[in-house]
Amino acid sequence: MEPQKQSPDNLQEVNAKCKEMLQLIIDGEATEEQRLYFKEHMDECLPCFKGYELDAALKEVLKSKCCGGHAPHDLVDQIKSKIEQPKF
Amino acid sequence: MFYFYFYPFMTDEAPRYSYSDKERQTIFNDEFMPHIHAMYNFAYRLTLERDDAKDLVQDTYLKAYRFIDSFQRGTNAKAWLFRILKNSFINDYRKKSKEPNKVDYQEIESYYNSDEVDRQITTDLRVETLKDMMGDEISNALNSLDVDFKTVIILCDLEGFKYEEMAKILDIPIGTVRSRLHRARQLLKEKLSTYAKSMGYKNA
Repeated sequence: MEPQKQSPDNLQEVNAKCKEMLQLIIDGEATEEQRLYFKEHMDECLPCFKGYELDAALKEVLKSKCCGGHAPHDLVDQIKSKIEQPKF
Repeated sequence: MFYFYFYPFMTDEAPRYSYSDKERQTIFNDEFMPHIHAMYNFAYRLTLERDDAKDLVQDTYLKAYRFIDSFQRGTNAKAWLFRILKNSFINDYRKKSKEPNKVDYQEIESYYNSDEVDRQITTDLRVETLKDMMGDEISNALNSLDVDFKTVIILCDLEGFKYEEMAKILDIPIGTVRSRLHRARQLLKEKLSTYAKSMGYKNA
């Protein structure tokens, strides 16, 4: 049997499905089946590929450029001295 | 156990353990304190004031210590602490600061998630532009989002929590985590795109 190809009706459905999957894939929450489905579709769908590329880059940029700051030095001591007080 | 009713958070979790003083110290130092930097960063992004962030983190740790008997050793201390911090922020800090005209995003979430809005917010942000941006530029855009939206991005993208953990930290269903995250990223991309254009970024 002919594999299910993307007729106009089907295409809309596939795109909606992929849009939903995109986030799961970016966040590592997708099942193996979903990942394979998405990859296969993305290989032949430019908007989905671009969407994936941008969202993956955004996640990467957030992770690499927005975290890793340090708490002020005195904060740890302040907390520890408070819990060592008798009322605690 | 009357004590249970005075829980400031986690009313679903009664004190289940009774640790010795030595055990309390060990849990506090070995399981709670290692998250101090992540906690401070989260608090700073919520309050956007260094002193407030310090106070919020300190309050959170003191609560965590006081209610340590409801924490199971060896479980996800980071998620537990983040949940206390988020609740403290909402219950104590946000009330104090009296933010004017707070919008209830849960209420309008369904509107925000409609396809129509998706069509309205289409960004032409490019991957290259995004990668060229400075940390401060990305950070400012993130900080400028409404607190509910920036929170999901912080938890997911900066701190690497799974959807299920986020649902517990935020007390919302997983479906809401997903939709809020989707919307938050759309809004962030839109802000970055507008910013990039205003700064004359090449390709923006």
